[in-house]
Amino acid sequence: MKRVLLLVVILALSYTFIQSKNMLHIAAGVAIFLLGMQSLEEGFRFFVGGLLDRFLKKITNNLYKSILFGAVTTTLMQSSGLVAVIAISFISAGLISVAQGVGIILGGNIGTTTGAWLIAALGLKINIATYALPMLVFGTLLIFQESRRLKGIGYALTGLGFSFLGIAYMKEGFDAFKETIDLTQYTADGFMGLILFVLIGAGITIVMQSSHASLVLILTALSASQITYENAIALTIGANIGTTITAIIGALGASFEGKKLAGAHFLINTLTGFLLIWFVPQLIHFIDITAPFLGIPKDDYPLKLALYHTYFNLICVLLFAPAVHGLVALLNRIFKQEVTPENEIDDVLFINDVALDFPDTAQATLLKETKHLYNNVFDIIAKGLSVTKEDITSGMEIEDILKLRNKALSINMDEYYERRIKEIYGKIINFAIMAQGKFADESNRQLIPIKNATIGIVEAFKASKHMQKNMLRYLESDNEYIKSEYNHIRKNLIKHLRTMQMIFNTSEEDVALLLLSKLQLDTKKYDISANKSLDNLIRTNKITYTMATSLMNDTTYAYTIASELTKVAHTLFIHANAETKEEHEALILNETEVTDLTHANEIRSHT
Amino acid sequence: MSGFKFIQKIKELFNIASPNADANKKQIIKELLKKLKLRRISLKQELKNETDLIKREAIHDSIKIIKKQIKKGKEIMDA
Repeated sequence: MKRVLLLVVILALSYTFIQSKNMLHIAAGVAIFLLGMQSLEEGFRFFVGGLLDRFLKKITNNLYKSILFGAVTTTLMQSSGLVAVIAISFISAGLISVAQGVGIILGGNIGTTTGAWLIAALGLKINIATYALPMLVFGTLLIFQESRRLKGIGYALTGLGFSFLGIAYMKEGFDAFKETIDLTQYTADGFMGLILFVLIGAGITIVMQSSHASLVLILTALSASQITYENAIALTIGANIGTTITAIIGALGASFEGKKLAGAHFLINTLTGFLLIWFVPQLIHFIDITAPFLGIPKDDYPLKLALYHTYFNLICVLLFAPAVHGLVALLNRIFKQEVTPENEIDDVLFINDVALDFPDTAQATLLKETKHLYNNVFDIIAKGLSVTKEDITSGMEIEDILKLRNKALSINMDEYYERRIKEIYGKIINFAIMAQGKFADESNRQLIPIKNATIGIVEAFKASKHMQKNMLRYLESDNEYIKSEYNHIRKNLIKHLRTMQMIFNTSEEDVALLLLSKLQLDTKKYDISANKSLDNLIRTNKITYTMATSLMNDTTYAYTIASELTKVAHTLFIHANAETKEEHEALILNETEVTDLTHANEIRSHT
Repeated sequence: MSGFKFIQKIKELFNIASPNADANKKQIIKELLKKLKLRRISLKQELKNETDLIKREAIHDSIKIIKKQIKKGKEIMDA
């Protein structure tokens, strides 16, 4: 269907171009301008890794700072689309709240007005194509440089060059058009005309996916007197509504939090648009009064339109900034996260396409998804030990848990793997590989340990699966010795899982540091004590040789679970806070120090 | 924010230079050491009141770990 539509559009455009060379000029101008916008965005993306995201995290800690951030970045990058994508990406990764994201969007709306001023004041008055050509040459030269920063500057410069060239083409097309055909004869007056042009403005923006491109088109047409001032205002309102579709499309691959932001953008611009349609004559009158104070001549309609665009977006911010929290509450009601029932296939909660846009969001998303996977594996390892997750997280003494759960709990681990692990595991690894391929070495160094932690989680699950078979058999055995040994394994692993939960839940960093080292020490101790007791049981013939080999294997599996999960806890804790990562790492005991402590313990127990 | 602090902040954000990184690191470690020392005192108190042998063993392990961590921290501070 899409292909048929594309073919129809190509044929229609080809026919139009044959009929009118001026239309070809205008369309080529739009195409070059859009290409320029894309190149400009690409250029800024080179800077985003590590720079913009750091600004974003530090600067958007309250609503008004978020608005300021949105306004400044949109002014600098001249792309509200890119700012919306950044906000959606950061919300999806949980780095900023939806309210802060709404602030950025509101600020972005103000930022777009600077584009209209630049085009109306400079773009249409001077021959900007003169500047476009050197920009294209120098920009292309920089694109071929090794340095990422220079490459970024190159793309941005080329983007600006193309945008200027696009504007020049559109201007030329409309100016030539004026001599052959007068489009103002299609002007529609009255309220119905207003609605019609709002719809046309929204339609053009949806097709071009850029409110900037629509604004340039509207301003150039207005400057060439091909549309009336009133119709241009209606088109501008439409463009402001149409631009939200870009964010909605961008949010399709985002998390439900990202979808909320796209919903907010749509609601804010559409409601403001519908409200201001009723007050167009009043606002025109207000512009007529205020324009002279800004030095805008009476008949300079492009500048007056830029002023209208500014008022529109200021009203939008004044209306919605005080109501952001109410808006977020409304969005929370509309967008609700679906909870996967236990018997259905669990899928990723945080991984989405937009999370791959920036290194920080990719890392935060990977970390969160790994924790999600860990929670599922924690659940199944607990069941493999014939206890429940709730038993472990309860404050119950471990001895009491074992008394309560003295019967083997049969569970199909393979089926559980298919339902709640496989899909998430696969997607995490895929996401990590994609992110590694996309970002620079520095970011890669952060991603690799998290990816390895994911592999460790699944290794722990596999060991638990191997152990489960004997666990089921010997927990119900008549031989009290083997039963006691398996209960010992259960006890140690329950303690281990409980400590892991404490590490993830505590807000006291010294407690987490202590517990991480304790996990390492405990893992070493299980191994030593299990081997000693096994030797003793074999020597005194208290268990059969079959039982002995099973116990030996399962002790190794238990050790694998403990050591893999210890590494997972270490990685997830360390990477959770990038700012104190190094300091935390420095205070956690290393392998040698833990071994020293274990030996010191042994000596103490012998004396 | 003073002019110097502002320039430092901007330099940090732009990854141009971070002359205070070492001092910052030491400050964080110093604060962590303070917390660990307090934790050791409370664990010692707990050990005095604990009668269960297994729990005493666990507390003892924790105290030893903290002791080693404090030693590591001090070494970083002195470096």
